Amino acid sequence: MKTAISGQKRPLPNPGIPRAMEVILGESPAEVEGRLRDIQSITDVGLSRLDDQDLLAELLKRARDILRGDTAAILLMDPTCGELVATAAAGLEEEVRQGVRIPVGGGFAGRIAAERRPVVLDQVDHTTVLNPLLWVKGIRALVGVPLVAAGEVIGVLHIGSLAERRFSSDDVELLQLAADRAATVVKSLITRKERIAAAALQRSLLPAALPSSGGVQMAARYVPGEGAVGGDWYDVFTLPSGQLCVAMGDVTGSGLAAAVIMGRMRSALRAYALETVDPAEVLAKLDAKMQHFEPGALATVAYAVFEPGLEQAHVCLAGHYPPVVAAPGQPARLASVAPGLLIGAAPGVSRPVTSLRIAPGTLVCFFTDGLIERHGQTIDHGLDQLCRAVTAQRPDAACAAVMADLVGSMPARDDIALLMLRHSPSGGSQP
Amino acid sequence: MTIEDREYMIHWVGSQAVITMPAEVDATNADQVRKALLSAARPEVPVLVIDMTRTTFCDSAGVHAVITAYRQAAETGTQLRLAATTVQRIFTVIGADQLMPIYPALEAALADTADGQAGPPGRGR
Repeated sequence: MKTAISGQKRPLPNPGIPRAMEVILGESPAEVEGRLRDIQSITDVGLSRLDDQDLLAELLKRARDILRGDTAAILLMDPTCGELVATAAAGLEEEVRQGVRIPVGGGFAGRIAAERRPVVLDQVDHTTVLNPLLWVKGIRALVGVPLVAAGEVIGVLHIGSLAERRFSSDDVELLQLAADRAATVVKSLITRKERIAAAALQRSLLPAALPSSGGVQMAARYVPGEGAVGGDWYDVFTLPSGQLCVAMGDVTGSGLAAAVIMGRMRSALRAYALETVDPAEVLAKLDAKMQHFEPGALATVAYAVFEPGLEQAHVCLAGHYPPVVAAPGQPARLASVAPGLLIGAAPGVSRPVTSLRIAPGTLVCFFTDGLIERHGQTIDHGLDQLCRAVTAQRPDAACAAVMADLVGSMPARDDIALLMLRHSPSGGSQP
Repeated sequence: MTIEDREYMIHWVGSQAVITMPAEVDATNADQVRKALLSAARPEVPVLVIDMTRTTFCDSAGVHAVITAYRQAAETGTQLRLAATTVQRIFTVIGADQLMPIYPALEAALADTADGQAGPPGRGR
């Protein structure tokens, strides 16, 4: 960033002062050092003990004071919709309380985020900013900079003045320095918040309790991966007509955005399941909905409709592995279900439905690829390992056995979802 | 085979472009892979062979990159072909063979003399 040099040049006492600070002229070396300490204070140890909101508030106060401004605000990027959301403010709390949202590219903050560079305004009105709060408050001048972490714009930091003022290029430099230091802190805050939100969302969407009535036993496992939380889900529900439906899916991508899409898919699938008992039609409608409302999103789904009594299952796959089936006394194997195209790839696709006979005592195991995918081993190896680990026993014991064998002490990076159903053995002769 | 950052080998065999994919495709490099694929799926390229014969690991991020390339290729009229060994199963499960022919070896993908014209993807032989 180029900066204009004005005023008389004075020697700086401390050779350790960063290059950018050399352009802050017209101030005594002591003042410069003071400002430097202020910048460093942006991320000193004391801050790390504060919780989220307090941390942001403190960062803002320090940034505002460094620039001798009257107001300060941070807007953070909402990844699900590309808007900046007012998240913390000092002297401009109304922005936050009124839920101000600015689209990227629009107005003052939106421009900063879109163009990834600072903006200075010496006129604050409807022609220069989108948010009326700014001029209603009496702000006469604004300076804003992007918050960039790991090459990505994660938000905007702006300082306002109630008095007429020209924020100088020195002010911009200082604010950018402050923002750069704040950005890494904010980024880890966001990541932490997103992980918590995504995890909460996923937990809220997983069936509260698995039905275990009459002829079916069930158990499930859901383990979020070590990386960002992903978009795996499973669902079990009965239809008014008595069939038991099982869905398992995996939205490509990770974090809150994937979890949100996953939630929408789960809801939509339930609605379509009520409309038609044909699994292929349910997935076709789901595919059409996703392609229209979430263009670009991709997901795999395995969907099975079990006849009441569980003797038969009608399975349709959209890019997902078929279940592993273990009949009593036989080695488990991947069910012979014809593959179908994943969700979101191409319009108007038809998918075959395969009917499986489920004899009493048979265990059916749905899973997501996080269970069988590992660096350093082939996918076929993972599938073989899974088949060896599944035996026709009570689902809760079967889940434990599979998780012990396949995950053991080596955590998976990706989410793992596992759902086991068993057609209860006849006459109660088997455990 | 190691692939340098952003340098995915695109070479020509006659009128067919071949892009060689890295041994592992996952979140760490899927974005670069996607960009390389998109830069190769152009109107001037009638046939693009995605060579994954040396790829031993490909997760959903890698699949996403290939599907994104398919969508663009459908617009530019580039016929995509996939050659895969270890990871072939992943693409079969995804249903990718409904989008592009999948071959068990690079030679087979290149030898296929089907006309590289725009139109519905051919089924694998």
